[in-house]
Amino acid sequence: MGVLAGLLLAGADPASPGKLTYQKANDLFVARKFPESLAAVEEALRLDPNLVPALTLHAKLAMAANRYDLARQSLERALKVDPGASYAQFLYGMEAWMNNDMKAALPRFRRARELAPRDPRAALYLGLVTESVGKPADAMTLYEEAIRLERAAGQPQAETLLPGARLLLLLGRLDESGRWTRDAVKLAPKLRDAHFELARLLLKMGEPAQAAAEGELALTLSEGAVRDNAIHYLLIRAWQQAGKPDRAAAHAAVIRAQER
Amino acid sequence: MFRLIALVVVLGGVACFAQAIRFEEIAAKSGLRFELQNGEAGGFHQIELTLGGVAALDYNNDGCTDIFFTNGAAIPSLRKTGQKFSNRLFRNNCNLTFTDVTDDAGLAGEGYSMAVAAADLDNDGFTDLFVAGVKGNTLYRNLGNGRFADATSRAGLAGVDPAFGPRWAVSAGWFDYDNDGWLDLFVANYVVWDADKEPRCGTPERQYYCHPDAYRGLPNQLFHNNRDGTFSDVSQASGIQSHIGKGMGVSFADMDGDGFTDIFVANDSVRGLLFRNLGNGKFEEIGLEAGVALREDGHAIAGMGADFRDLDNDGKPDLIVSGILNDSFLLFRNLGGRSGFEDYAQRTGLLMSTRQLTGWSLGMYDFDNDGWKDLFFALAHLMQLDRYLGRESALPNRIYRSVEGKRLDDVSAGAGPALQMAAAHRGAAFADFDNDGRVDAVVSAVNGPAKLYRNITASRSHWLAIRLRGVKSNRQGLGATVHVRLADGRDLYNHATTAVGYASSSEPLVRFGLGASPVADLVEIRWPGGRVQKLTKVAVDRIVDVTEEVEP
Repeated sequence: MGVLAGLLLAGADPASPGKLTYQKANDLFVARKFPESLAAVEEALRLDPNLVPALTLHAKLAMAANRYDLARQSLERALKVDPGASYAQFLYGMEAWMNNDMKAALPRFRRARELAPRDPRAALYLGLVTESVGKPADAMTLYEEAIRLERAAGQPQAETLLPGARLLLLLGRLDESGRWTRDAVKLAPKLRDAHFELARLLLKMGEPAQAAAEGELALTLSEGAVRDNAIHYLLIRAWQQAGKPDRAAAHAAVIRAQER
Repeated sequence: MFRLIALVVVLGGVACFAQAIRFEEIAAKSGLRFELQNGEAGGFHQIELTLGGVAALDYNNDGCTDIFFTNGAAIPSLRKTGQKFSNRLFRNNCNLTFTDVTDDAGLAGEGYSMAVAAADLDNDGFTDLFVAGVKGNTLYRNLGNGRFADATSRAGLAGVDPAFGPRWAVSAGWFDYDNDGWLDLFVANYVVWDADKEPRCGTPERQYYCHPDAYRGLPNQLFHNNRDGTFSDVSQASGIQSHIGKGMGVSFADMDGDGFTDIFVANDSVRGLLFRNLGNGKFEEIGLEAGVALREDGHAIAGMGADFRDLDNDGKPDLIVSGILNDSFLLFRNLGGRSGFEDYAQRTGLLMSTRQLTGWSLGMYDFDNDGWKDLFFALAHLMQLDRYLGRESALPNRIYRSVEGKRLDDVSAGAGPALQMAAAHRGAAFADFDNDGRVDAVVSAVNGPAKLYRNITASRSHWLAIRLRGVKSNRQGLGATVHVRLADGRDLYNHATTAVGYASSSEPLVRFGLGASPVADLVEIRWPGGRVQKLTKVAVDRIVDVTEEVEP
């Protein structure tokens, strides 16, 4: 969700009769004043129904409110006005992705990649969709491209590294997964997802004590999407294998307590 | 030079016996005409997704395995308003044809049926049926004359619970948890459901079936056989009821070799439950500690079918669980004793190759009789998801060949045209319907014809099937483990269970593929409770009837 919020907060290109009103709406959006932003962007669209940045912002607000149907309408209108609007195209892909509509997401993200070949987000999300439809090798190429673009721009992100790290782990390419994961940990030492992935890797590599240490660290971190129970489950196995059944039992007890 | 010749001879011998697994689909030509009807009428009711249990049983003891299909009903009435909703029993005529004997048998049934569990619950030598369903279950006692009698009320198995009311059961299975020689009943319940309170998901234009998260889970039930046609609900006393899940498949095995049968329940989108039988009437849930509760990354898959058998012939039953698209199917290798299980799906290649599949029933059987159990999956994505997936929700079934228990190769493409035909497959049961020593499969499909896959693998491998007759143990010997030692020193393991896959019930015989071995040097049966019986130099390519030896 953090990644989505970041994506929604990014990118705009104002220029039209409703420009000033749109600008105000965008400022309010950045300030997370969403109801006020919505009122302003609707006013901007009243002034200029074809203002692409306003349509795009309207879509972002709709997606933030889980109104993907409205988001789709705004984005389709924006892309009709300007088929080359790369950010609107990317969000159009996101709309499908968030609805698990892989059939629609795939061509939308492909088009987004064509429109913005240097945008790592389009590569990353096209990679995620490609992995979802069962093409891991192609997905891995896209993850590599996404991180290459971020590195070229001097802004590598842990969130971009982790999908590749996870896929490499699934494919049994542990050494490569380890490189990606450790890079993610370096980039975002307070991100629980990175430490969790490192713990998974260490457990698979037969290092249960280190895996347990990473897992315990992950549990203390609040930033990230990995659920507590996933970490507890890993820690049960890590502590068991590390010869500390009492510590394993404590984590099992936490999960069971939540189930009652 | 001698070594080289020996090597060629050995490899040549192996190659000879390792034939491609092949099936032909013969339902129509064998008279097995059944269409599973889910009663859907645009309401996106959850129950429409999950029906389709099938049983392979020999109800008339003629040595030829018969087939029972469960069926749906109208919604919201949950009544079988026409013959199209009838459950069906097909008698195997022992010549690869089947005759519908439903009416004679009195098995048309009532209500929205989901699952079937077949076993001889009263030790009279005739296989009985428990049909589980939505808001009601039915127990049919086999009268031995081709007819079945509804024994539900007397048995106390209607499915109405004092605390939860009528439940929705998706699977059930028979096993003898206390080794008293009488089969007990485990019922896997799914979620709280009412047609009038069906949640709506999606938009009015794009409605779809809701995720299981939209429904409250239910505890499972355990019923103790009182040996007089009645059962006692021991769900609470045994500890089973303390664990809420969204039960789908159920399977049994003595996972730790202590002589008591344990239970695994695959749950839909919540963690799996592994009940360790403590031997004193109580169960301890150890799924988390044993490492079978969740996928390796902590994700709760949409667990559907399960089979709990020894894949790698190390004497310890392993566990396979099917799931939904992007879950990957789970395979856990039993490490023995209290060491739990390890993830085995990645190492065998199953993890990535099943990631794009949605699996319902399944079975772990040696389809090419090479001595290693293979995997058969009944597949179909959830209905109405076509538009989201960008592909048809109907899928062809798949078969994975085990390479010495270490690798699982998808050999579906070479398994014949029948394995390429897509449908909304659900239940599957396994038996040797034509008594040729090769394990066949019967599969149901939602709103489509059932399929009978005849195994036509061109293998010259030998086989052995053990038909147990318990004396002190339950009549069918369910729960007994069988160990076969071959002349080349190889050890093979299997056990007697009818609880296989999803909502379905398979033959009770314990089967072994023997590869090139023309004789089984040793057949060792460990009856429930631990008594061991041995046979030596057993001739193969036949069914061997083994009656339990009891000390005077």
